Amino acid sequence: MNKIFIIFSILFFNLAFANSQIVEDEFVKDLIPEEKIENKYNFENTQKTFINIRFLEPIKSEKELYEGQIIDLIVDNNVFIKKELLVKRNTKIKAKVNTIITSGMNGIPASIILSDFEIPNIKKENLSPALEIFGQDRSLFVFPLKWALTPLPPTGSLTNFIKGGKVKIKTNKIYTIYYYPD
Amino acid sequence: MKKILISTLVLLALAAIANQDIKLNEDKKIQAEINEIGFKILNANRIEKRVVFAYDDTDKRNILKNNKPLTKRQVVVFSDIYKNIETEDELAAYIAREIPRATRSYDGLGNGFLAAVKLKAAPKKYELVFDKLAVDYMVKAGYNPLGLIIHISKTYPQTRQDKISAHNLTSRRLAYIYERIYFNYPSYLINNEYIDNVYYQNYLLTSRENRKITAQKAKNRFGQWQDYE
Repeated sequence: MNKIFIIFSILFFNLAFANSQIVEDEFVKDLIPEEKIENKYNFENTQKTFINIRFLEPIKSEKELYEGQIIDLIVDNNVFIKKELLVKRNTKIKAKVNTIITSGMNGIPASIILSDFEIPNIKKENLSPALEIFGQDRSLFVFPLKWALTPLPPTGSLTNFIKGGKVKIKTNKIYTIYYYPD
Repeated sequence: MKKILISTLVLLALAAIANQDIKLNEDKKIQAEINEIGFKILNANRIEKRVVFAYDDTDKRNILKNNKPLTKRQVVVFSDIYKNIETEDELAAYIAREIPRATRSYDGLGNGFLAAVKLKAAPKKYELVFDKLAVDYMVKAGYNPLGLIIHISKTYPQTRQDKISAHNLTSRRLAYIYERIYFNYPSYLINNEYIDNVYYQNYLLTSRENRKITAQKAKNRFGQWQDYE
């Protein structure tokens, strides 16, 4: 009986020791769980309605924003479903800055991806998942210029240093997202 | 003597055919698995662009010259990647990373030709973007985004530097993925299903400084932070 007790004690000690070897992630202690979104999809219904949106504040560069930031927008049209008014014009809405893509060499523009639109009376999952807004795309002339200068090395490579445009958003510029009733 | 020779040849031929059948069946199984996960991600994320998925049992290195995802709008799972994949989350991670690459070549000048050139011209920049988007895609499709950390952690080596390189340091990629999960989907870290996973443990072991920066960033998003190593 004593032997069995000793064996069990050793086993228990070994297990406890093995568990203590697990590296814990100490930085997650204060985190608060996010709200879960029910994500059922059924694409039988082809109906979709556009929603025009505008920014409330102008944005001069993507550097003014950070990923995860909630920004304010405004609906620019009355949204009807089956002749019933769903969202009134000038309703304030919110969106999350999901991803910021900085501008790059070769004229590649910066862009921001907005997501998680919050519109009264509409579920998040029934809206367009994302809206990407680009800066000025200078690659349209950079690449042809690079290829034209290729016979004169290294002039073609110098076009690498032309950077793409920043994301500039005016308050009168209208962007469109879609509402999918089903 | 002749009879023995003929029967040996027939046996060999039959064995070769049987082997081919076994391999074909294995490939079909893998292809079905890839298709199911791929289309689930496309549907769950309401991606309105066509992308197909393929399993290729040749090494990626041999095909790099012909980058299929850019030209054919398809996601190719190469055997050298697949052999490192152990769970559905990890396979979803690889596929979710490649989907934005394939869909991005739809928009813009020349039916997406210019967009594809841009992806080739700035691979380092888009590498981080696709990692972040992959996390979102995975969560929406019901997969655990920590699978992406595990997949990258055990598949991509750590280079000496990334200043003069077309790719980011793997540790930096992992840090941005962790940051994405930390800020947007913390429940996966709070109820961590992978905490006992040996690869995830190795990630925790090798990423302490970067995770510390993430935790500091969480306190002040507009602050000036040291870049991830």
